Order: sequence, then C-alpha cells, then structure tokens
Amino acid sequence: MSKSVLPPKGGLHLPITRRSLLQATAILSGAGILSVHGVPVFASEVFDDIKGQWESAKMDWKRQSGATIVLNGVQHPWMDAITPLVPHFTKLTGIEVKVQTQSESEYIASLPVKLGAKSATPDVYMVWALGQAVTAGWLEPLGPMFADPKLTDLAWWDVDDLFPSTRAYQTWADGNQYVVSVTAEAQTLFANKTMLDEKGLALPKTMDELLATAKALKTDDIAGIAMRAKSGDGATWPAGGFVFSYGGAIIGLDGKVAVDQPEAVAAIDMYGKLLREAGPIGSGNYHWMECLNDFMAGAVAMSSDSSNFATDIGNKDKSAVAGQAIYGGMPTAAGKPAKPNIYNWTIGMNPNAANKDAAFLFLLWATSKPTAAMAAAAGLATQRTSAWKTSAFGERFGKQAVSAVLENLNAADADLMKATWFHAKGPQILDAFGIGVNEVVTGAKDAQSAMTAAAEKMRAAIG
Amino acid sequence: MAEMTMTSSPDRVNLRPLSPATRLARALAPWARRLILWAFAIWCLFPIYWLATMSLKRQVDAMARTPRFWFQPIWDNYLAVIKAGDIWNYFGSSLIVALATTAVALALGIPTAYVLARYRFRGNSDFGFWILSTRMTPPVAMLIPFFVLYVRTGLMDTYPGLVIAHVAINLSIVVWLMKGFFEDLPSELEEAAFMDGATYFQAFRQICLPVALPGIAAVAILSFLFSWNEFLFSLVLTNEIRTVPVGLYSFVGYQQVRWGELSASAVLMLVPVLAFVFIFQKQLVRGLTMGATK
Amino acid sequence: MRSSAARSRNRFILLMLAPATVLLAGLTLIPFVVSVGFSLTNYSLTAPNDIAFIGLGNYLALFSSSEFWNAAWITVLFTVVAVGLQLVLGVGIAALLHHETRAVSALRLIYLLPMAITPVAAVFTFRMMFNPTLGVFNYILKTMGLPAQDWLGSPTMALVSLILVDSWQWTPFILLIAAGGLAALDEEPLEAARMDGAGPMAIFFQHTLPMLFPYLAVAIVFRSIDAFKTFDIIFVLTNGGPGVATRTLNLLAYKQGIEFLSMGYAAAIAIVMLIVTIVASQLFLRRVDLFKPKAAL
Repeated sequence: MSKSVLPPKGGLHLPITRRSLLQATAILSGAGILSVHGVPVFASEVFDDIKGQWESAKMDWKRQSGATIVLNGVQHPWMDAITPLVPHFTKLTGIEVKVQTQSESEYIASLPVKLGAKSATPDVYMVWALGQAVTAGWLEPLGPMFADPKLTDLAWWDVDDLFPSTRAYQTWADGNQYVVSVTAEAQTLFANKTMLDEKGLALPKTMDELLATAKALKTDDIAGIAMRAKSGDGATWPAGGFVFSYGGAIIGLDGKVAVDQPEAVAAIDMYGKLLREAGPIGSGNYHWMECLNDFMAGAVAMSSDSSNFATDIGNKDKSAVAGQAIYGGMPTAAGKPAKPNIYNWTIGMNPNAANKDAAFLFLLWATSKPTAAMAAAAGLATQRTSAWKTSAFGERFGKQAVSAVLENLNAADADLMKATWFHAKGPQILDAFGIGVNEVVTGAKDAQSAMTAAAEKMRAAIG
Repeated sequence: MAEMTMTSSPDRVNLRPLSPATRLARALAPWARRLILWAFAIWCLFPIYWLATMSLKRQVDAMARTPRFWFQPIWDNYLAVIKAGDIWNYFGSSLIVALATTAVALALGIPTAYVLARYRFRGNSDFGFWILSTRMTPPVAMLIPFFVLYVRTGLMDTYPGLVIAHVAINLSIVVWLMKGFFEDLPSELEEAAFMDGATYFQAFRQICLPVALPGIAAVAILSFLFSWNEFLFSLVLTNEIRTVPVGLYSFVGYQQVRWGELSASAVLMLVPVLAFVFIFQKQLVRGLTMGATK
Repeated sequence: MRSSAARSRNRFILLMLAPATVLLAGLTLIPFVVSVGFSLTNYSLTAPNDIAFIGLGNYLALFSSSEFWNAAWITVLFTVVAVGLQLVLGVGIAALLHHETRAVSALRLIYLLPMAITPVAAVFTFRMMFNPTLGVFNYILKTMGLPAQDWLGSPTMALVSLILVDSWQWTPFILLIAAGGLAALDEEPLEAARMDGAGPMAIFFQHTLPMLFPYLAVAIVFRSIDAFKTFDIIFVLTNGGPGVATRTLNLLAYKQGIEFLSMGYAAAIAIVMLIVTIVASQLFLRRVDLFKPKAAL
C-alpha cells in the first residue's frame, strides 16, 4: 500500500521533526545535535544519520533482503507512529513491508476470519485478544528466536528497559513469549484543575475523597465525573482497575471467578455510586469517546481512563480545556494499594507466515530502543522507560502527565489484569462483567446481585 | 406514454358546490401538505446538515458544550483529506465495484425476472422464493465459508471477486423489483410479437426490454446505492482494495475518532452519488411507473 | 410441432434463468451448507483442531438460554415497529408528494439523501447528536423548553432511538417504491370514486392503498429481511445496552462468532434466524399472493 510514504495523521498529527528526534535519541546514543531543522525523521535523506543506532546491534539486518511481509494493524497511534518509519526498516534490511490499517471494529471482525482460515498474511499483526490468539494457535512462539544469538542481539535490544508490567505482560502462562509490547497505557485519574481550584479542592487520593470531590464538583451544567459504563465491552477496563484497587479480582490468580466476592462488589458499588451521584445523565451509554469528548468540552470535571488521552486533552485543536488538566495516581481504597488497570498493545507473528525470520526482524526493529524513541517523539506512549524519559516525549505528553502515568504504570499489577483479559474465555468473561457494571450504573441492579449474575455467566463460560 | 402519468394530478376541480368551511379546508390543504413534506425533508436533512457542519469545524468546536450553529468555517479537513489522497482510491474502487455490480446484477437479474413474471412453469414460485432467500442469511455465518472459498479460488482481494459478492447480495432485489415491473405489462405485447413471428428471445429483447427501460433505471440506482454502501463483505474479502465505507471506517480509530476527516470525506463522497441520482432521478420515478403502459 | 415448441420454450426459460442460478447457487448454497454443518459441531476458532459433531447440541443450548429468547423478542419487536413506522411514513409522504406541485424534484433528492450517505458517518453523527450532555437533540429540546432526554439510556428509549435512526435511513426506500407505485396507478377507478363523492381519505384507503399493495409487499419483504439483520446502528449506538436491552439476534450472533469465536454456536443462531425469516416471508407472500405470474405465456 502507498500508505507507508505518507506523513503521520490523526491524534499524533504533529510532524516528527528531525530536531525532536535528535533530542529524543541523543539520550540513547550520546550523539550531538545536528542543526538541520524541519526535515521529518521519516524522510529518506535522514536515514544515513540515524541508521547507526540500529546497525550497532551485533546481528545481520540484511539476512532476509528481498523478502516482503504484510503488517496489519488497528487505526491506532502506534500505527500512526510506526508507518512513516517503515521506509527506514526497508532501507536497513531490504525487506518490503505492506502496511494495512483498519479501524478496531473492522479489524476484530476480519482478522479472526483470516487467521482462522490459516491465511499466510498478515505476517505481523497487532494482537487484540492475546488469550484467544494463543489458544487458537494464531501466534508463533518467539522465545526460541529471541534466545538465538545469531538472530538477536539481546543485550542491544535491552529487556530491562521495558516496564516491569510490560515484561509480565509479554509472558504467557506457559512461560513462552508470543508477543512483543509496543505501547503501555495505565488507568489514570485526570481532572480539570480550573474547576478544582474554583471550589478549593485538591486532586483526590482515596476513593472516598474521589466520591466527595466528584459530588462537590457537580453542578447543573457540569458532571463531577464521567467513566465508561457502556454495555458489552465498554465499562470493563476502568471498572477493572477499581476492582483491583479494592483488593479484588474479576478472575483470581487461581483462575477462579472472584467478581462476586466482597472486594469486587464494593468496588463496583463505588463505581456505580460515583456515576449515579456525580455522573452526567446517560452515563450508562458512555464509552471512552463520550468520556473524553465531555472532558475536553469542559462538561465533566474528572475521569479515570487511559493515560493516552493526555495527548488529545493537551491539544488545543481538539480540546477546550488544553492546559487545564491535572493528572494523578489511582485513588486508594481503605489503605489497600492502588492497582490501576493497564493495557499494552502487542504485536505478534502469524505461524503461517511465509518468511518468519523476516517477520521477526520487523518485530525486533519495531520494538527496539531507537524506534521507540522516534515513535515517542511523535507522542506515542511506548513500552520503553528510556522513551518515556526523553524530553521530546515530555513535551508532547506533558511533564506532569508523564510523572503521574509513570507512577500508575509502575503501580499496576499485570498478573491480575492478565488473569481476566488474557483468559481463553476473556471476551465472554468481560462481556458478562460489562453488562453487570452497566446494570449497576443505570440503577437496574445493585452491585451484589449484578456481580452474582455476572459470576454465574462467567462460570458457565469457563465450564 | 410514461410522461403522461408523470404529470401528477393535483387539486382537481370539484364539480359540486362547496360550503365555506370546506372551501377554506381545500384552500389550506396544499399548505398543510407542503408543511408536512418540508418537515419530513428537514428530518432527512438534519443529520446530514450536522455532519456537514462538523466537517467545517475544528474538533474543539464540533464537540463544544453548547452545540454551535454559527461558527467560523474552516476548510482544513477537506484539504487534509484531499491532500492525503486515499479518498480518491476509495472513490475509484467504489465506483468500479458499484458500476460493475449494477451492470452484472442487471444482466443476470432482468432475464430471470422476466421469465418469472411472464412464464408459467413448474417450480416458478419456489424458484422465486429461493432467489429471495439468498438475501436472508445473516452474514456472520457466511463470512468464513465465503472467505475460504475466495482464498481457494483466488478471488480474494480482486475486483471481480468483490463484484461477484455484491451481485450475489443484490440480485434478489433486482429480480423481485423487475419482476413487479414486468408483471404490469399487458400480455398482448408478446402475443402480438409472436404473431409477427418473433422468437421468445426477440419478444423479450426487442419488445419488453425497451418498455421496461425506465424500470431498469430505477433498479440500477437502488443496486448502485446498495453496492456503494455495502460494508461487511467489502471489508472481509479485500486487503488492498478499499471501498468508501471501509475506507471511511478507518477514521474511527483506537481511542480516537477523526471527526473532521470522517465528516469531510462523507460529504465529499456524497457528491458523486448525488450526481448519479440527480441524473437518473427522472427515470427513477418514471421507472417505477410501468403501469403507464396499461 | 407441439413438443418442439414446448422444447424451445423450455430451453428459453432455462437459458434465461441459468446465469443467475449458477452464480447464486455457487455463492450462497455452498456457504449455506457449510454453515449448517458448522451449526452441528462445537467448532470454535480458538480450538480449530478439536472440532466434533454434537448433533443438535447448539440448538438445544440456544433454545434453553434466556439470552436467546430475549434477543429473539427484541429482534421481532424492532423489525415490526421499525418496518411499520417506515411503511406509514413512506406511504404517507409518497401520497402527499404525489399531489405536490412545487419543488418536487428537490424534495425527491432530499428524501434520497439518508440512503446515499456512507452509513458509518451517519451512525456516528447520530451517536454525537444523541449525547445527553453535548448532543444537539437535547440542546434543541432545551431551547424549546422541553426536558432533556436520555436517548440511549433506558431500555425503552434506547429501542425507540434505534428505531428512529433505522427509519431515518430506510423510510426513503419504502417512499421510493410507493412513489413509483402511485405514479403507475390506473387513475380511472380513483376518478370514478371521486365522482361518486368519496372523500380523499376514503379514496386513499379503499382504492389507492389496495392497488398499491403489490408494490408495497415487495418493499415490506425486503425491508423486513434487512431490518431483521440490522447490525451497524445497534453496534455503534448501544452495543446491545443498556444491560442487554437492545441485544438482537444478529448482535448475539456477532458476539458469539466474531468476539467469542464460537463459530458452531453462531452458525446455529444464524440458521435459526434464516428459518424464522423463511417461514415469516412464506406466510406473508402466500397471503398476499405475490407468487403467481399474472400474464401467463
């Protein structure tokens, strides 16, 4: 597809300039500042300046020269960031990459059909439900390739640079690694500081403070807090972080359904109470889109959602509250540790791919330090600590947001999240959970009976 | 002949003497009618108007707290979409697929419809029903078999493949609507032709087909619109070829919806369809008026 | 002579039917048989090698789940109310338009717009307009002094809103066919009734509507078939919520097939939907006697 020569689009609209790249990569490479401005990093003429960062790896990048692979991904900031960089990969390795981007819904609808029919393409794809994909045999185990020094310079790739939650995230229950993370996002509290200041309030630290603050901020015009509560898959992610932070689990680490236990019920009770007492009307139909739009329009004072939204909230073209937002850690419940939910987008390899080594080279390149730093310079929240600490990323994302999100990323408990989201029956479990949360938020059921019903459905699905 | 019924018959002169109240009611009736017709027009237009205003707004205005009816229009979204250029590929693919689908569906559907409408044979109604039933299957169940079939036969991600799929979806509607038009033709048409020594095919080709042309135009437009907006099969059966609905869906991303580009593209893509419909709209209504020949 | 004429007549019929038959048979029969096959197995994409024949197991599981009956009821309700509303609106507007003299072609073009716009853009626009806080619908209600609505929030309102959107998109389809039918009507019986002093309402219901019916029947059948399978609108606007209040059969089939990857179970839902549609349309078509060719050659 001709896409690969296009500049990045959308949420990460800001063109990556050579200067911001060099600011980003200087930390990694120790290289000096070059004075050529305005040439974007994906421009072919800068390749010679930056190729050294990849070529310093002790491995042969050219070993599959001439191959062609297909990368299939979701319309997502990672695809926006990586697509313009792909020509560099082709120059480095001699491997052609066809990039195919689809919206999340179309992707989820079409990829199972292709993989289920054992299609040889895509070679590399973004994985949307890891548990399903591993169980279905749609992912090539990567462990042996990472372990082979002829294929990988592991020291150069630097596993320790990944967030701990990311390292846990990549490891499957059987100890093998099927995917590589490309982004890291954590559930983050964000609030409109102007609205807080008007009432003389501070960012809440505990769940009880969150409720009190949300109620105090609510007026006839402005909702105190908005969070996802839409039926089906909508509510599950932020509500999951509440359950974890109350000391509960949806599916326990022992693999048993725990969503009807007192901790989880208390969390969902609080989630529902927040939205019923301080949320906007129609909370029950809110997905991330409604939460984000309302917050950016100044119609909502607080939300607890993905850290990725910091980029849009700070963008004056999209947000009426740019510069007014403040970010914080996950509120705690009764002295228990905060465990915000996390999400990593990962990429994996189709086991029916024609040229697995070429696909592996792409996986290595796309998740390497220099590539992550360049993507971060475009505003992408990557899986690498080094990329988060670059000044270019701090400027894009907001320094205050960076420190709050790093706190949340490090507080997260990946194992709890994986037990539910990566379960082979993950989608069924989350569907039941999402319906239950929606029923609590709309007041159709109380937390105990909704979670009991959800637990029954989960047990039936797990069998 | 067709023109005759095109001129609709408004407010006929009543021959009886009228009471003043009735007279008033008669005088107001056209305005009441007009009011309802334009109210319905506003209902049809409003969502499209709203979409169009969004394409001229910055995103921060599109989501504004009090919805903005008056704002400083910007053209950035249109420029961005046109400059990115993908929209022309979507447009080209959709145009090829929709036109080819329409042509093939008509070529296959009209003979079928004609025979079903004019000839009695065993199993006629069962056959007609089978054609209808091809539209009934929910697509979820069809996707995997379809996909496997396409990969095996090499039809995957090709124009002919997509056209065949769209024809399969639209054939039933072509057959059933055309069947209705042919049924309204008087049987004397062919009987006269047979007397003159015409073959079955000549009677169809030279006598009935020309009379049915306006009806064909109508069905063509419907078939074009259905193919133009078809989403699910276009999505699953292609990789590189992207039709307008699939292409536009890619503006709905993970944790972001690119409102400006989505709405600008949708408005842009409305233009060719409107042009198509506008050119054919006389035929469209006339086409559904086959009774004109009675 | 006679038999050779019959032969050439039969050959003509066969030739005329063959191309469409071959295409439809190839593209719909094979997937159909495969789907029926799937529905009798526990086929799941997550365990493609563990496929086993389980007879009517999927159907038994389906019929014993409240989820299925709930979805079936919502689907039928949605289809009947939506198509009914579209029929009333479409025929009513077509009848009024038939007598209109001013700006008719402009009106016709406007009425076609909802069918012409790319559906994804329209549906997402509705999602914005329905937003209780930022949406323009509640803004208009408030400026008129009416209370704001939670458009997609309660089970009843959500279904009403979905029906409104579906009707926005598809009333034009019925309107189009009704307008054509009206223009095609033989005016003589109408004129005679008018001379006998029948009022416009009486003429419409006693004469126009029955004459229009063959046209409308086709429109009703196609619209019902499509409404029964409605997906995008529900998926984008409510995703089946609140709770499961708008989770229709097709949404359920999507969840089971595409999200849960239980293809066998999803195929069973699809087959049940197919059977319901076949039975309903058979009953309807037999009742309105739309099968028989009128001019028999």
